[in-house]
Amino acid sequence: MPTRHLIIGGGTAGLNAIRTIREEDRGASEITLVSAERPYSRMVLPYYLGQSIAESHVFTATPASLAAWKVKTLIGRRAAALDPEANALTLDDGTRVEYDDCLIATGSRAARPPIPGADGPGLHSFWTLEEARAVIAAVTPGRRVVMVGAGFISFTILNAILSRGARLTIVEVAPRILPRMVDAGCAELVAGWLTRHGVAIRTGVTVTRIEERRGTRILHVKKGEALPADVVIMATGIRTNLEWLRDSGIDMAEGGQGGILVDDHLRSSIRNVYAAGDVARGRNLITGAPEVHAIEPTAQEHGRVVGANMAGRDVAYRGSLLMNIVEVCHLDIASFGQWDDAAAEVYTAVRPDRSQYRKLLFHGGRLTGAMICGPAKDIWTTNDVGILKGLVQSGVDLSAWKSHLERNPFDIKPAFMATHNPGRLLPQTVLGRPSSSPDLPQSVNA
Amino acid sequence: MRVLALLPDRCTGCLRCELACSYVQTGSFQPAKSVIRVSPFEGYTSYAPYTCTQCAEGWCMTACPVGAIRINAAGAKDVLDDRCVGCKLCTIACPYGTIFYDADTHKAYKCNLCDGAPACVEACPTQAIVYREAETADWLGDFAAERTARLLAQEVA
Repeated sequence: MPTRHLIIGGGTAGLNAIRTIREEDRGASEITLVSAERPYSRMVLPYYLGQSIAESHVFTATPASLAAWKVKTLIGRRAAALDPEANALTLDDGTRVEYDDCLIATGSRAARPPIPGADGPGLHSFWTLEEARAVIAAVTPGRRVVMVGAGFISFTILNAILSRGARLTIVEVAPRILPRMVDAGCAELVAGWLTRHGVAIRTGVTVTRIEERRGTRILHVKKGEALPADVVIMATGIRTNLEWLRDSGIDMAEGGQGGILVDDHLRSSIRNVYAAGDVARGRNLITGAPEVHAIEPTAQEHGRVVGANMAGRDVAYRGSLLMNIVEVCHLDIASFGQWDDAAAEVYTAVRPDRSQYRKLLFHGGRLTGAMICGPAKDIWTTNDVGILKGLVQSGVDLSAWKSHLERNPFDIKPAFMATHNPGRLLPQTVLGRPSSSPDLPQSVNA
Repeated sequence: MRVLALLPDRCTGCLRCELACSYVQTGSFQPAKSVIRVSPFEGYTSYAPYTCTQCAEGWCMTACPVGAIRINAAGAKDVLDDRCVGCKLCTIACPYGTIFYDADTHKAYKCNLCDGAPACVEACPTQAIVYREAETADWLGDFAAERTARLLAQEVA
């Protein structure tokens, strides 16, 4: 009897696992996919909102492509309970699915703070396709949009909201924007840039209550004037979808970001149950510590490693590198690795007249984190964005270059070359083999 | 597979590769948009060209959330313009710094080996860039180490 793989969750991790299983086994096994939604890429929803792509562009699989992969689908169903002893999953409609091994990749959902009125109708999140459709319907020219939260998610949709002709105000409880993606120096530069581009930013503001008054929403704040809004988007973080596993006996981390504890093959405490993406507490490439990295590249790599292991390969995962990039009003902002590390030796440089910022963080000779910010038209004339990633990823010894980099944090390319990074990186692959072209639907008729 | 062998000892820094590349890749003679980049060493006395090695992992390709990067007939990782949404994830996934973003078209772009007839090779007057059957390699490491040794020694002194 062929092996029965069960994939729970049709997001990035789940789809990457399926694709990798099929790359490895050419269809020899049985795969069942349980997914609450049709598979799509959350990463590209902002471009749908910004009208630069059609809705059909967001789907990462279609009934036809899943059939071609020989995947049995249970779309629109949610996982309700896992019984690892019986190797069976129960769905929200009572259906039971048995498996030989399974992947938990149920991802996250948008979280709302416990503010009175924050869960009322007419308030939006921007996380699922359904939520994106609602935001698209609501954000029209001239409307006053207030985004609560100045984090990564809010910044990914900033351009799209402006391009729809809306007026945007961002409210953030922390004293600065992007508190979990950049440092204070970079945040100040970005905030200045956005203000010059017509975005109103209010930091250090706590929203205490949201009320509706004749179709307008009033955001009451601690200290200061209330804000009126036609559309409110709550971009106040995410929460992992793990509640349904409460009685499964699978080991999870308490508190913090939580997450399913996994070994270096992304197996949970139950040997034939894997976890990937936002729900997995995987290894951090730089520190080696178990951590939740709720970012797209981690979900991709986790999914591929699990897929290979499910297909019978023996692939250990080296760990994921925290990284983010976002462009707002043609200003690029990216950070890599342990950029927020008080114990690191830090070199920074700023060119205020060009809105450029760099930050390099070292432990000894090793670059453990980095930050780069600058106008898109400047930043892409260098190789620096990827080179910073490469230096952090390779962990090369830069001792000989530190005094040069301390004086010139912008001048990283010679150090990258002279320490033979391409030579170090070329043998590295995630799965121990060359990657194949991804088999994704080319055009989709939704 | 045929790859771009980069032979920095032959490079004169004339930048013809950048001109040719930008024209073929973006339709304009604009070295700032070239996907092959010439770096100066030792105060602009020696130079080395640098571009995508078409690495085995294809970090850009596996990172793309919509499958917009494929392996073309020449074996190069290539961006499909009509699929790319411009999210730049590929640009932070690539550890070589050799995938770029065009601020005019809002798309990622990179060396696609000009589908098997690289314009930079054609343009190079000194055969510092050669398209030949070879294992891809760290073409510049030894050269860069040698040409920066003096700079580092001076800085320490």
